[in-house]
Amino acid sequence: MDTPIVEMARISKRFGDLQALAEVDLTVHKGDIHALVGENGAGKTTLMNILYGLYRPDAGTIRVRGTEAHIAGPRDAIALGIGMIHQHFMLVPPLTVAENVVLGDERGGPVLDTRGIEARVAELEKRFGIQAEPRAKIEDVPLGIQQRVEILKVLYRGSEILIFDEPTAVLTPQEVDDLFHIVRTLRDEGKTVILITHKLREVMAVSDHVTVLREGRNAAHLVTKETDPRAIAVAMVGRELRDIRVRPGNVGPAVLEITSLSAESDRGGLALKGVDVEVHAGEVVGIAGVGGNGQSELAQCILGLRKVTGGVIKVGGSDVAHDDPRRTRQRGVAYVPEDRRAEGLVLPFTLADNFILGRQDQPPYARRGILQGRVIRREGERLAKEFDVRPPDPDVEVGTLSGGNQQKVVLGREISESPRLIVANQPTRGLDIAATEYVHERLLEQRSRGCAILLISSELDEILDLSDRIAVMFEGRIVAVLPAAEATEERLGLLMAGHVEGVPA
Amino acid sequence: MRQPSFDWTQGPAIPVVSVLFALVLGGLFVWISGHDPIQAYAALFRGAFGSPYDVSETLVIAVPLLLAGLSVAVAFRAGLFNIGAQGQLLVGAVAAGWVGALWPDLPGILLLPLTLAAGVLGGAAYGGIAGWLKAARGVNEVITTIMQNYTIVFVMHWLLQNGPMQAPNAFGTPASAPIGAGAILPIVLPDFLVPSSRLHAGIVLALLATLGFWFLLWRTSLGYELRAVGLGMRAAAQAGIDPRKRMVIVMAIAGGFAGLAGMIQVSGLFHRVYDGFSAGFGFDAIAVALLGKNTPVGVLLSALLFAAFSRGGTLMQSDAEISSHLVEIVEALVLFVIAAETVVRAVARRWGRPVKAAS
Ligand SMILES: Nc1ncnc2c1ncn2[C@@H]1O[C@H](COP(=O)(O)OP(=O)(O)OP(=O)(O)O)[C@@H](O)[C@H]1O
Ligand SMILES: [Mg+2]
Repeated sequence: MDTPIVEMARISKRFGDLQALAEVDLTVHKGDIHALVGENGAGKTTLMNILYGLYRPDAGTIRVRGTEAHIAGPRDAIALGIGMIHQHFMLVPPLTVAENVVLGDERGGPVLDTRGIEARVAELEKRFGIQAEPRAKIEDVPLGIQQRVEILKVLYRGSEILIFDEPTAVLTPQEVDDLFHIVRTLRDEGKTVILITHKLREVMAVSDHVTVLREGRNAAHLVTKETDPRAIAVAMVGRELRDIRVRPGNVGPAVLEITSLSAESDRGGLALKGVDVEVHAGEVVGIAGVGGNGQSELAQCILGLRKVTGGVIKVGGSDVAHDDPRRTRQRGVAYVPEDRRAEGLVLPFTLADNFILGRQDQPPYARRGILQGRVIRREGERLAKEFDVRPPDPDVEVGTLSGGNQQKVVLGREISESPRLIVANQPTRGLDIAATEYVHERLLEQRSRGCAILLISSELDEILDLSDRIAVMFEGRIVAVLPAAEATEERLGLLMAGHVEGVPA
Repeated sequence: MRQPSFDWTQGPAIPVVSVLFALVLGGLFVWISGHDPIQAYAALFRGAFGSPYDVSETLVIAVPLLLAGLSVAVAFRAGLFNIGAQGQLLVGAVAAGWVGALWPDLPGILLLPLTLAAGVLGGAAYGGIAGWLKAARGVNEVITTIMQNYTIVFVMHWLLQNGPMQAPNAFGTPASAPIGAGAILPIVLPDFLVPSSRLHAGIVLALLATLGFWFLLWRTSLGYELRAVGLGMRAAAQAGIDPRKRMVIVMAIAGGFAGLAGMIQVSGLFHRVYDGFSAGFGFDAIAVALLGKNTPVGVLLSALLFAAFSRGGTLMQSDAEISSHLVEIVEALVLFVIAAETVVRAVARRWGRPVKAAS
């Protein structure tokens, strides 16, 4: 066996009283794609920040290409051929792609040789199959391209080892595919890639080896070919996962009936072009589709947040198409919005105050327009405990909670009133496995109670696991509705891409 | 699990530091201009608080500043920038001056409440217009309130000069007829305590209004809704709190506070409306609200501070022969520092904990 290119041994790091890393080992071989996975807060970013010289370890050694390295800062890391692509891009928007690539590089003299730079950037682009238009301004290019600029930046400095911190979090599915293509090319060109993620699908798709961290410790080291997603998930979470795939339940009368619904998008054009869908009591209907095919607009129309230009939305038999959110909610409609930070929560408010959002003028939280502070706090405390929000402190500012805990607040608020219909839009986006499992269990609990659930998600696994029926949305229409038993990933994938069955595309 | 860390930038530290910083820098200006800064500030302080009479005069200025400050602050809480406190104050003054002079013989028990209601409602209606334009037509409230400030000045010209409110016997400055005795707010400091004090019962109204501001925002459902709209408009909207309705309401409330300030200037101080009435309070109010961080106690303290500057500055000029422009410089510096707060915050964060590169 050859010497590993990176060997981190018994690395420990404390932040105050928090042991972020405890004697963690990480061994990466040259020419590998090495996935570093773990739940939120497992210590992945901390470990990589240590390798990149942003933090000093309290204990442990780092060897690069067999020799012990003391990395005191990113300069040292860069000199060793280590480059990091951060989750938040560090680009200068008004400058061009090429200018950003060379920014901060010492080799450049005082005068910018624009031509030479552009040529060299173009050469890198060609060699690694990264298309990024050297002359475009950063502010004009989408996130996927900005990420490529970060990659080029790192390559330009001659990095041999590239660290990606959750690179797919901000990308569309198409951009993710493109990124993985680039990552594979990098490997084939002899580069070494360390990829931080917590999405199992991605681990299986691109990595050669997997290191799993859990609560700051090594939980497993696996060879991707010899393992399966389940084993990785168990290592990440530290226990067996519960089997949540739904069994057929008792389906009741229709709760939500939508017929030929149309609505405009924010940009003008039609976002919904005659949508028909029905959800019954005790049933989960999953809306599958590539993001941006009208799913969010559909949710907004049901809630009364978007103007309906045609069609009918019936909840429990009465038309709510033109009701405002307040009246719609009074009919027992709950909503888990797509963007919990902007739409689900008032981040500077406390936990207790967020629990009463929308009920701030109703007893027992208010009497004659006066808030009942003590009741609100007590309810906040109770709900925080019931929904396992950590910390269960009614006075904590919600903006300081982790994503999973924020979602528990949203979910807790929405289901505590026993709604008859829940519209959940991407309810587990950005959550780790344990939090995702929690959200799924709670939704299914509501289903067994007889609640109707409309689940919008771009994660096929989620749709397949939870739904009784699956509706596929494409370009503002429902193009197919399948019973869950007949749905497979391949079939859904084709439908989502617009291949309507029976009609050659 | 991320623990919320104590953030001193949330507390009173920044306003206090910025005032101190402004005072030091202002002192530097005095020193450069060849005067003694210590002496200057001593004169300023004496002018504002040197005698019971000076204190009472400072308070007379603080009352409208406080109310106009609350006006700006309440709108801020709902995410709106009310530049129109000045105009709303004037509308309140005109309405109060008109009603107060309309039935001059009514007893105080009737006339005073009527005058008060006229002032508050006048201001509220004026503010409400800006809120409505924003809600229904999407017109930026900054623009509309600025235009409203101009409009009322010209309307006042017309009303008071050859217009329906012109006093029959007025010469010189255009002015309205005096309000009836029943509409006058009594002086609260008896002569044997502070001879010839002008401090009127408006101070009680202003303190009650401050209490009301606190109660409204933190103890009522409406206040919760206003803050929710200010801090998370989309979250509020999806929860069924219609931001547009709240915009109209909050601008009316803001106008009400400013209108009360105008009414108090009429009923407590001048007993009539005249051209060029109470200029500038509505603008200082923006500084007062910002410095006070839109909190009741903060706005109260910064209204006092600005009142002391204003009162003390005038006396400093006569006592220490230092231009009262010094006071304007200090005020501007305070604002400057407050505006630079974002920068201060960023620096504070850097000191507070290690910089994190990624999530
Ligand atoms: N600079 C810091 N100061 C204090 N605590 C920190 C700091 N950086 C990280 N932590 C804490 O250390 C732990 C590990 O954090 P880290 O960011 O490495 O996790 P992660 O595995 O990258 O998680 P995520 O998936 O959320 O990005 C967390 O509990 C985090 O709150
Ligand atoms: Mg991380």
